[in-house]
Amino acid sequence: MTHSLHREGSIDSLERDFVVFIYPARGFNYKGNQPKVRHLVEIIYQNEPVNMIATALRENLYSEVSHEEVLDTIENGDETTRVYSCFKSRDNIKQLLTEFKEADEGISIMVSGLVDRVRDMAAEVGLSPHTINLSLGIQGNTKRLPPADIRQFTTMCGHGVVSPHLVRDHIRKVKTGRTSSWDASVALAKPCACGIYNPYRSKEMLDDLTPVYTVSRW
Amino acid sequence: MLIREELCVGCGKCQPYCPTAAIHFAGLVSVVDQDICYECGTCLRVGICPVDALAEHPMVYEYPRALRKFFSDPSATHKATGIQGRGTEESKTNDVTGRVKPDEAGIAIEVGRPTLGMGLHDIQKISQALARAGINEIEECNPIHSMIADPATGTLKEELLDERVLSAIIEISVPKERVPVVLQTIKEVSKEVDSVFMLDVFSTLGPNLEIQPDILQMITDAGFTWRPNAKINMGLGRAWE
Ligand code: SF4
Ligand code: SF4
Repeated sequence: MTHSLHREGSIDSLERDFVVFIYPARGFNYKGNQPKVRHLVEIIYQNEPVNMIATALRENLYSEVSHEEVLDTIENGDETTRVYSCFKSRDNIKQLLTEFKEADEGISIMVSGLVDRVRDMAAEVGLSPHTINLSLGIQGNTKRLPPADIRQFTTMCGHGVVSPHLVRDHIRKVKTGRTSSWDASVALAKPCACGIYNPYRSKEMLDDLTPVYTVSRW
Repeated sequence: MLIREELCVGCGKCQPYCPTAAIHFAGLVSVVDQDICYECGTCLRVGICPVDALAEHPMVYEYPRALRKFFSDPSATHKATGIQGRGTEESKTNDVTGRVKPDEAGIAIEVGRPTLGMGLHDIQKISQALARAGINEIEECNPIHSMIADPATGTLKEELLDERVLSAIIEISVPKERVPVVLQTIKEVSKEVDSVFMLDVFSTLGPNLEIQPDILQMITDAGFTWRPNAKINMGLGRAWE
């Protein structure tokens, strides 16, 4: 499951797009991990995430579910929770990593983002990253893909369930004044079952793209 | 997925949510093309239908159609892995599990991604090409492993071949010196498939997030490039069980 690895778009835009996973390892540190995961999620909440889902509840940051309910489910639920979250600022991520390091809960943490930025942050915080997963991009019959400007939205959901047709539909709605670029971005984040669709980045991209796009029907 | 004709009011709201455009109008109502639908559950999960006309297909949990759901719905748990998703924990917990060692590399072929999905016939082209090249290191706990009928030829179970999935991940762990043959095989088979896949290589890091230079050289020599953004295990995990 490498669904935060292949986010497309300009380097400038990716500067404001980081994904963080909290990931207990089955058979290695599952036992008793619930309070530790809860503590790490409390730290996430304090560092301005732009989206988040805990697998115990599967409701993203823009749903009606309160932070307390999410935290309680993590601590008291039957299943081990994995947590997926998304941030728009390097400063937030750096602070997050500093607090994760201090917390020293022993659960694996993954950060997806520009390698050079993560390298700088790791050095500043004093972390020694262990493993890297590199994307060699899309292979095969790439002629069938939607265009790159649509893929920069859809690849924010690595499972591919933010539909390219939905992106076009929302470009059309923004263009015709039926919704705002922010509301469209929150709507586009909804199908992403892992909560790693970044609506702030999506809004920026919609604002850039809408004036130059002509859309009849999706 | 199904649309109950007697309830559907033909508003069309569900249609753009389908990543594979399986929902279309038939007269005054919407219908789901059952061949195309890969059972990702998105249309139902987002709760867009004003009259609750969307419903799960009665065969969705029956083998072999169940394969579609397990490999396409991000919230479905795959029995073989016990985790939600189309692969194993791969690099995410490598700091704890040590599954991929410094002299090894992990290679993942994410078939069907992004969004297009892939028929099992196409996946078989990949598994057969890997088998022909003598690459039989597909991880045992990877869900794809259980779809293979004959590891020697990479042939998939006959009854699965008409199915299609949104994504499935073929994960291979090899000693580093075997990375070139794996990448070369993937390069060749990429010309034969009708759909798309994403390709990943993962390996342990040196100090200061240094990517192993020989891994980068192997990627370049095979005619691939790597993207500027990556997924990085920050080394904060430890085992206590
Ligand atoms: S379950 Fe997925 S593929 Fe099937 S109709 Fe709904 S959105 Fe489309
Ligand atoms: S949203 Fe519901 S009522 Fe509207 S077309 Fe789809 S199934 Fe029919």
